[in-house]
Amino acid sequence: MSSRILTDFDLLVPETVPEALEMLNRLQDQVTVVSGGTDVLVAMKFGFDTPYGMSLAKLAGLNYLEFDPQQGLRVGARTTITQLLESPEVKQYYPAIWESAVNFATPQIRNTATLVGNLLRASPAGDGSCAVYALGGKLVFSNEAGEREVDIDDLWVGYATTARNKDELATELRIPIPAANSINAFKRMTRVNEDLAKLNVAVNLTMDGNVCTDARVAMGCVAATPVRLRQTEDLLKGAEINEESLKSLMATVSAEITPIDDQRSTAEYRKQVSGVMVKRAIEQARDRVTA
Amino acid sequence: MNKLSVNLRVNGRGYDLEVASNKTLLEVLRDQLNLPDTKYGCGTGECGACTVLIDGEVVNSCLTLAAAADGREIRTAVGLEKNGQLHPVQQAFIEETAVQCGYCIPGMVVKSVGLLEKNPDPSEEEIRHWLEGNICRCTGYEKIVDAVKSASKKMASAEVKAVG
Repeated sequence: MSSRILTDFDLLVPETVPEALEMLNRLQDQVTVVSGGTDVLVAMKFGFDTPYGMSLAKLAGLNYLEFDPQQGLRVGARTTITQLLESPEVKQYYPAIWESAVNFATPQIRNTATLVGNLLRASPAGDGSCAVYALGGKLVFSNEAGEREVDIDDLWVGYATTARNKDELATELRIPIPAANSINAFKRMTRVNEDLAKLNVAVNLTMDGNVCTDARVAMGCVAATPVRLRQTEDLLKGAEINEESLKSLMATVSAEITPIDDQRSTAEYRKQVSGVMVKRAIEQARDRVTA
Repeated sequence: MNKLSVNLRVNGRGYDLEVASNKTLLEVLRDQLNLPDTKYGCGTGECGACTVLIDGEVVNSCLTLAAAADGREIRTAVGLEKNGQLHPVQQAFIEETAVQCGYCIPGMVVKSVGLLEKNPDPSEEEIRHWLEGNICRCTGYEKIVDAVKSASKKMASAEVKAVG
């Protein structure tokens, strides 16, 4: 076999959340948590190394997806991308998440990878991260002392780094119910479907007729973390959505991002297409409503 | 590095094993259980050569820790035949000459079985979307897609016969 073999580590396989939290409290950052493992195991094959791995494969009770028309969506830490795709409520109320799940890597990965894991890997290219960022939400972290909520706006603190403390386990993602008259959508750009995105974007707009009254716009692959395009959001608020306003919006998006050249694209190309992608995401959300 | 005791059910047979903590399911299938039908391609979940069914779901065995598969039902390409008869998907791959070098084929076959068990009558678009994540460097995919379509028809008519 090739040199892509996993580093040596002791594997912990907790069966309950308290058991997992005790291990994390005792071993702190000596532990790498493996849930779906589709990304972190690849990192471990390329040398990322901690003395312990902790598989969540036997952790019961965290693979739920619960929708409440008042409270919104609760996504357990072990809930897979396939589970999101199979949910009619996700498709109806959170199309941005559903659209990010349709072309999320491959069927094998979708069956294993989790949405919470996608957020915690903190890749700037995460499709799930981008979609959730536009919708807003809170991630629940537990440790032996209790639990706390971290707003998605405060989750990513740097490249591949989150606000998670080393004794904490993420247990649940809470996404609010979208505002009445709001529309949301996700779009990504790749060479072929199963590639990581060269650019992704998600929008969540609250509309009063054709006028946008509130907006969240998230973009990935254009900075060290997924980013919100705050100036674009400000321009959208109070604006009528029409060909003219979308055209002027397109021109300003690129000033808000700081992409780099990498194996999937170039900074220049990303800057050029970023505005178009925002426009198309807004059109996609709008067209879905009129259809 | 620790070892863990696991029970794997592979192709209908139970195995009690000690597996090293960092072994993937693919390594255990090939090296400990001597089942080399599941292939190593990229090792990073991109090519699909290592695809197996775990409790009926397609999974990359190169990205599955063997210890995490404890107690699960695993099926590989070699376990698809019944009573010496090839699975209709395997038969269709032969009849449609969907095989050239053959390296990707166990993964392709397992992946296709995973589709048809959930969606017995997929459209061509659904077949192509489903086969993303399984890379073939020989065939250009046309014959593989034809084989899945043909298997789908055969399995439907076999079902009608069985019912009739």
